[in-house]
Amino acid sequence: MRSRGAAPRAALHVGAVRGGSSGGGAPRTAGGGVPRRRTAELGLLVWVALLALAGFAAVVGAETSAFGPAVIVVPAIYLGLVLALHVFLVLRRFRGDQLLFPLAAALTAIGLVLVQRLASDLLLQQLSWALIAGGAFVATILIPRDLTTLARFKWTWAFLGLVLLVAPLLPGIGREINGAKIWVKIGPGSIEPWEAVKLLLVIFFAGYLEEYREVLAQAPRRIGRFPVPPIPYLLPIIAMWGMAMVVMVFEKDLGATLLFFGIFLAMLYLATGEAFYTLIGLALLLGGGFVAYHAFPHVAARVDIWIRPFADELRFGAGYQLVQGLFALGNGGLIGAGLGNGLPERIPVVWSDFVFDAFAEETGFLGAAALLAVYLLFVYRGMLIALRAPTTFLQLLAAGLSFIVALQTLVIVGGNARLIPLTGITLPFVAYGGSSLVTNWMLVALLMRVSDASARIRGT
Amino acid sequence: MEITFAVLLWAVRIAFLVLLYLFLVRAFSALQRSLAAEQAVAARPAGIAFLVVQRSVRGAPRVGERMPLRAVNSIGRDAGNDVVLNDEAASARHALLEFADGEWWVEDSGSTNGTLVNGESIRSRERLQYGDELAVGRVALRLEQA
Repeated sequence: MRSRGAAPRAALHVGAVRGGSSGGGAPRTAGGGVPRRRTAELGLLVWVALLALAGFAAVVGAETSAFGPAVIVVPAIYLGLVLALHVFLVLRRFRGDQLLFPLAAALTAIGLVLVQRLASDLLLQQLSWALIAGGAFVATILIPRDLTTLARFKWTWAFLGLVLLVAPLLPGIGREINGAKIWVKIGPGSIEPWEAVKLLLVIFFAGYLEEYREVLAQAPRRIGRFPVPPIPYLLPIIAMWGMAMVVMVFEKDLGATLLFFGIFLAMLYLATGEAFYTLIGLALLLGGGFVAYHAFPHVAARVDIWIRPFADELRFGAGYQLVQGLFALGNGGLIGAGLGNGLPERIPVVWSDFVFDAFAEETGFLGAAALLAVYLLFVYRGMLIALRAPTTFLQLLAAGLSFIVALQTLVIVGGNARLIPLTGITLPFVAYGGSSLVTNWMLVALLMRVSDASARIRGT
Repeated sequence: MEITFAVLLWAVRIAFLVLLYLFLVRAFSALQRSLAAEQAVAARPAGIAFLVVQRSVRGAPRVGERMPLRAVNSIGRDAGNDVVLNDEAASARHALLEFADGEWWVEDSGSTNGTLVNGESIRSRERLQYGDELAVGRVALRLEQA
C-alpha cells in the first residue's frame, strides 16, 4: 500500500521541484542575466536601519550621557551585514519572499539593541554570532541545490537529531548551566544543540509525514467517531513522546520538551487533518507532565513559582526572577520608561530569559505589542508560503518552520508574563544566544527557499 | 526652550517607537501588495472567452455568472459538461460550442428543446460572434471576450 501510494507521488514532486530549481539555479546565474531587483525588501531594510540607529542612539546615549561615535559603529557593522545579504540575494536572482528577511533583520536589530542595553559586555560576542548567522543564512540559500533532497535523507536527520539531543547528557562534553543540562562544550564556548535539533526534527517530520500521511489520515477502522490509528505507523509518535519526556527528566529542560512535542503534534495535524491525534498527544503530554510534577522536584518547583510567585518563601528565592519580571512589565505602562531608562537590570539573567519583559518595561505596551505584531507578520507570511508551496514536503516544512517561531514566541512571552509556567526557551532572534540566532537565520533561509521554489514553478 | 541632552534623548526614544510602528505599517502594506499581486495572477482568466448568464429561471444559474470557455465546450444539464446548466428545459447533452479557425461555432447536440442564437433556432453548425445571445433551455447566455 505504501509503496504504491507514496512512490509515484514522491517521484512527481522531485521532478517538479528539480525542474524549477535547475531552471533558475546556478547554471542560469552563471550564464548571465539581469540581477533580480528586490525593491520591497530594500525599502523595508531602510526602516530597519533607522530603527537600529535610533535604538542604539537611545541606549548608548542613556548609558554614556552623550551621543558619541560608539552610537554608530555597531549598527553600521550590522547594517553592512544585512545589506551584503540583500545584495547576495539580488545577485543570486533569488525569487523568494521579500518580507521575511527584513522582519528577521528588524528582530535581530532589536536584539542587538537589547544586548547593548542589558549586557553590553556581551555585545561583541552577539555581533560576531550575527555575522556567523549571516554566513549560515548564505550557506542555507546555496546548499542543497534542491530542497527535496532533504526529504530523501530524513532518517539521517532523525538520527543526527537524536545524537544532538542526548549529547549534553554525555559526560565530558555536556555542561549544566543555570540548572539545565542542555549545553555542549566546544572549544572555548558552549552551544545548545537542541536549537539545531528543532530544524532537523521539522525536516524529518515533513519527510516522514509526506510519505505516510495517507496511511495516517485514512484510519482503517473507527470506534464510534474516533479513528483507530494504524499502530505501526504511529510508533514514531510514541517514540517522540518518550524522547520529549526523557529530555524533560534528564536535561531538566521544559521548554525544549514543549517545543518538540508541540511541533510534532502541529505537523501531524497539518498532514492528516485528524484532530483526534492531536487530542491524544495533548492528553499524553498532560499525563506525562502530571506524573513529572509529582515525581521530579524541579518540575514541581516551576509550577509552584508560576502559581504563587509572591509567596513569602518564593518571592526572594526561586521566584525572584519572575517577580522582578512582572514588576518590570507593570512598570512599563503604556509608552514605557524609555529605552535605557528602566530598571530591567533587576531581573537576573534578563538578557537571555527575560528580554521580552525588559523590552516591555522600556518601550511599554506600545512597544511590546509592536514586537509581537512583527512576530505575527513573520508567522503569517510563513504560513502563506506553506499554503502556496508546490509539494507536500515543502508545505509541511514551511508550516513546521513557521510554527517553531510561533510556539517559541508564545511559550517564552507567556512564561515571562506568567500566563504559563516559565521555561528556558529563547525569544527568537531577539534574546541573547548564538546557537539560537544561527539556527533561526537558517530557518528564515529555508522558508525563503520554499517560497523561491513555488515562485519558480508558478513563473511569477 | 533650550534643547538639552535629556530632551534629545527622549526625542530619540520616542523616535524608536515611532520607527517601530512605521516599519510595521510598511511591512504590512508590503504583505498586502504581494498578496494582491498573487491574487491578480490567480484571477487571470482561465478561459479564452466567457458565457455570461443573461436570464435564468429561479437563479439556476445565477444571472451575471461568467462561465469560462475552452476551445471545445459541451453545454448541457449533465455534470460532465464543460458548461453545466441546471435547468429542467436543457437536455443532458444540449449543444457544443467550439473555437475553430478564429471563430466561435455552435452546434445543437440533438436537444429536446433546441438551441437559439439571437432568438432564432439553429439547424446546423452556426457562427457565433462576441455579444451574441445563446439560449439553451430557459437560460440565456451572452458570448463575451476574455
